[in-house]
Amino acid sequence: MIRRMSHATIFVNNQNEALEFYRDKLGFRVHTDAMVGEDFRWLTMCTEDDPDFELILMEPKPGMLMDDETSQQLRAIMNKGVLGAGVFNTDDCRGTYEELKAKGVKFIGEPAERPYGVEAVFKDNSGNWFSLTQPTEGN
Amino acid sequence: MVRRIEDLETLERLDRARDFIDHCYDHPLSLDQISEKACFSRYHFLRLFRQAFNKTPHQYLIERRIEKAKELLGGDELRVTDVCYEVGFQSLGSFSTLFHRYVGHAPIIYREKVKQREQAKRQVPGCFLVMYKLESA
Repeated sequence: MIRRMSHATIFVNNQNEALEFYRDKLGFRVHTDAMVGEDFRWLTMCTEDDPDFELILMEPKPGMLMDDETSQQLRAIMNKGVLGAGVFNTDDCRGTYEELKAKGVKFIGEPAERPYGVEAVFKDNSGNWFSLTQPTEGN
Repeated sequence: MVRRIEDLETLERLDRARDFIDHCYDHPLSLDQISEKACFSRYHFLRLFRQAFNKTPHQYLIERRIEKAKELLGGDELRVTDVCYEVGFQSLGSFSTLFHRYVGHAPIIYREKVKQREQAKRQVPGCFLVMYKLESA
């Protein structure tokens, strides 16, 4: 039986810039940051509340997995902002929205009521979409 | 613009010399010894080798030694000094200098980095190790 998810990949433009964004703006902390191969940086972030779920910040780059063409295509799609999405939970969507917005996080709109809670949508600095959701009780 | 060598016999002779370096890199090799394997005079050989492989026989030899040194430094059976002599360098000084020039770190730092990488690798899930060819399936 599969219990839960422990790691997920987010493709980012630049690992250093993504690290700064996730740490300084979103408030994540670095879980692991280590060179594993000559050119392979294993960079994962987690929230304070859930250090067992690691977000892997990965740069598409030619070499080990992708050829030049593939990594360029992936970067191009990423830069169009049509790739990747996820949901982060909060206890206070409107409060966190103000807090993140003040730090420079770009939101698509104001927090809004949804069938499952209050939600605001933002993008990270690589163009990945996320919901910031405050679930209603029972959701 | 460097012209490629198309004469098959010449290429075979150059290959023979290169194979000789591949096998005997751990010995002190002179240009005379290497060019002898290809049956060319040393200067003619030097020119042809560079034309064919884009580097001098000496550069090729050094690269071969450095590659082997990297491999040995990745393990921990040999001390850096032993690695130096094992791959055919005659002095620790020139080994360190050349290693640094080719690899970007001194041998001891390289060994440390490999160790750190191996340590860090233990935290990376297998799907990534295999997908990114850091390990074979």
